[in-house]
Parts: sequence; structure tokens; C-alpha cells
Amino acid sequence: MADERRSDRGPAGKGRGGARGNDKGGPRRSMFRRRKVCKFCTEKVDYIDYKDAKMLQPFVPERAKILPRRISGVCAMHQRKLQTAIKRARLIALLPYVTD
Amino acid sequence: MSQKRLYELVYITSPDVTEAQVAELHTQVESIVARLQGEMVKTENWGRRRLAYKIGKHREGTYVLEVFNGSGELTKELDRRLKVTELVIRHMIIRVDEELKVADRNKARRQAEADKRAAKGLPPLGQGRRRSFDDAGDDDGPTEAEV
Repeated sequence: MADERRSDRGPAGKGRGGARGNDKGGPRRSMFRRRKVCKFCTEKVDYIDYKDAKMLQPFVPERAKILPRRISGVCAMHQRKLQTAIKRARLIALLPYVTD
Repeated sequence: MSQKRLYELVYITSPDVTEAQVAELHTQVESIVARLQGEMVKTENWGRRRLAYKIGKHREGTYVLEVFNGSGELTKELDRRLKVTELVIRHMIIRVDEELKVADRNKARRQAEADKRAAKGLPPLGQGRRRSFDDAGDDDGPTEAEV
């Protein structure tokens, strides 16, 4: 599993992969990846409420860090709003700052 | 004269505070708001909740939400008073009018767009446009560069 992923990533990074001439793996890699769509765009959310801890929960996994949007697929605008909402929720102890 | 703006105040009282004391705190807040020419919009008592982390030595607290219109001086005064109040273990005042305005505007625009499409007799817009845009950005670039 891990090996596969590494070989996927090789051609994408410009460096060595290209020099060795195994470029052809490049375009093919997208076959296995599912396109991620912004959750808030599809649900047409305008205001991300900091009081709704249940809604924010999936964006702060185990360690209570904010999930990067490269993983969640949230668009830039909503990630920004999500970020302030999570920080506000943390201040009033609806969400943790850290968990260990 | 300072401007009126919409604020949300959330405060958490320690768990051993009685209902009556919470009610008294609420009337105190109300009187401060009234004294400085503000007006209350909404209050909500969320009751006792578990805190996500310890505040002081407390693991639980009673949450109260107050929404009000008012000036900056009013929030300053509330902030000062709540800091001094021992019963309140945490409070937060945030301004929400701008954000709600933006949200309303987006909603109105989307509604207008949907209406326009409906008037033309087109089906409502799904995710189609977004997806095609994303695909073009991701796949076409590298392929053409290599060929």
C-alpha cells in the first residue's frame, strides 16, 4: 500500500522521476484518486456557526488539530470560515485545543 | 454617537452556580445593555455542558448565549464586568453583523441565479460546472506538457 503511493507521487514531484524517464506514470495517477468536493459548497452553507460543535467535530480529528483542506477537500473560502469558527468554539470550550 | 452593531456574548458559569444566580446574572447583563442604549435580541440558556477541557478546576459549566445590539463601549463595559464576576469562568463577545450580512448576500445571490435559470427553463445547476473546471485544471496541464 505504502509502496504504491510512493510510486504515484514520484512523477508528480518534478525532480528525479522526470530525469529517469518514467514520466508516463504521471497522468495515469489520477485514475485512482476520488475527486474531493467542498462539503460546505455542496450543502450551500453560508455561515459556519461556531456554536454547532457537532458540525465542526469532523474537522478536528484525534489530536484536535484543524484538518488541512488538502485532506478534507474544503474550498479556500470555507476553510477560512471554518478556521475562525473552530477557534471561537475552542475559546468557549466546545472544542479542545489539544487532546492526548 | 457611536454605531450600533450586532454582538453575540457567550459566558460559562461554574457548575455549582444555582438557577437563580444564573437568572440574576442575566438581568445584570440586561441592565448594562439597557443602560448603554443597547437592545437585547435573543437569549438562550444551553444548560449544563461538559467542557472540552478544564477551565480552572472545572470540568462542567452552564452556558448562556446573549445576542444584542449595541456600541463598542457597551461591549467594553460588559467585558470588564464579566472579568470581575467570579461566577463566570469564561466569556466571549464577538461581532457577528458583518458575517451575517455576507451570508445573507450570498444566499440572495444564489437565489437570484436559481430564479434566472428557472425563468430560462434550464434545469437547476448542480455540481456539473464545478467538476469540469476542476478536471481541466488537474489533468490537462501535465499531459500536454509531456507530449
